[in-house]
Amino acid sequence: MPEIAFSQTARVVVPAGSFHSVLPEVEGEPVAVDSFYMDETAVTNEEYLEFLKDNPEWKRSKIPPVFTNNGYLREWKSDLDPGYENVGVNRPLTRVSWYAANAYCAAQGGRLPTLNEWEYSAQLMEFDSDAEMNTFSSGLINWYSGIDVKNLAEVGSTGIENTEGIKDQFGLVMEWVEDFKPIIADELSLDCGTVGRMNTLGSVYSYAASIRYITRMSFNPKITTGMVGFRCAYDVPAPSSQNNINGETL
Amino acid sequence: MRSVIAYTLAFLGILSLEAVAQHGHHGHEKKALKSEEIHADHSLYHLDSEFIDHRNEPLKLSNFKGEPVIVVLFYGNCTQVCPILIQDTWRLFSSLDESTQTKTKVLAVSFDTENDTPETLKEYAEYEQLDLPEWYFITGKHTDIKMLATMLGVKYQQTGDGHFAHSNLVTVLDTEGKIAKRVEGLNQPMNKAATVIEAMLKNL
Repeated sequence: MPEIAFSQTARVVVPAGSFHSVLPEVEGEPVAVDSFYMDETAVTNEEYLEFLKDNPEWKRSKIPPVFTNNGYLREWKSDLDPGYENVGVNRPLTRVSWYAANAYCAAQGGRLPTLNEWEYSAQLMEFDSDAEMNTFSSGLINWYSGIDVKNLAEVGSTGIENTEGIKDQFGLVMEWVEDFKPIIADELSLDCGTVGRMNTLGSVYSYAASIRYITRMSFNPKITTGMVGFRCAYDVPAPSSQNNINGETL
Repeated sequence: MRSVIAYTLAFLGILSLEAVAQHGHHGHEKKALKSEEIHADHSLYHLDSEFIDHRNEPLKLSNFKGEPVIVVLFYGNCTQVCPILIQDTWRLFSSLDESTQTKTKVLAVSFDTENDTPETLKEYAEYEQLDLPEWYFITGKHTDIKMLATMLGVKYQQTGDGHFAHSNLVTVLDTEGKIAKRVEGLNQPMNKAATVIEAMLKNL
């Protein structure tokens, strides 16, 4: 097995703005988001492997159950072998708990994006028409109801990206966010009426968003599933040395 | 769309069982982890991050291994609820007899990582007359505090006006750093938590 070159994910700046959340603090009010940086693509198996080499306490055989259920990195061949021959290269990392995702991002000098940061970025998409948006959203609903965890595509390959160039927030895997179960969610009971109550914008787009919010709120921090990965956010740009390395490899 | 809803609900059904097991702690003691269900692997001391206290000393949670620990999460700028929460913690600590007090540590952890510097926390401790040898007012990196809070089951969220919405929870950790007792809500009776601590020290 040849060594896989470790490539540093590009950090993309997301300018400040606001968006309409299906779960706003104040009904009808847009949610304001400060500018931040976020990974262009989801964290890959290759990247996580590098993290494990430096942080062996997060290896599958070492991680204590306080941080995960027992599905952690279940599909990997061994502690330091993602099994590229089975999953392919450059695939999004999945089957990691919220704790592991946090530890990874902290080690990169970052953090998980907040729910509002992630949603704001994901919704920075331009559609030529309502019809196009509805088609996209219908596709999204189908995707949410049947993510094929056995055949994940390479990161950056979905062709879906926001106006800032952040890729695959839809269509690849679902992603951890820092506050996946926000306090406001405590007031909602996850029952049949929840989707209806959240669907405040009355569009297929917000229906898809409601499914995403509700699915996320059903998580607990120790779950590991084949359909949940993550990417990191940062308060500062990448250190200049990192940019140089990127410049050389590109 | 009906099938999607059905799918979502089926999916929720599976996951929410675990979620309830972990978060269903609204006064139902039965749902707290029983001692036989937890072992050292569930110790909070696995969180190997460096924090800093109001004496400007760096520390790790595992420093407190071997002692009963009372943990409370708060923030200094909180003038309504947090003083009550800190007083609740004091009520628990002061209800212990003196020799038990000296063997018990109190960690008051601030999640306002922007404003609560060690200096601010020092002032806070002095103002509350709680700058005691057994008390540590602690802050740290945003991600580390968030992880600690999540391990304890404490939620907090900035509300945009410099304040936080947050859970009110006092937790007792055993000598290995596992959760031994949780007291949720303000102005709750502390006698059971005190009994847990005293029993812990008897068994040492």
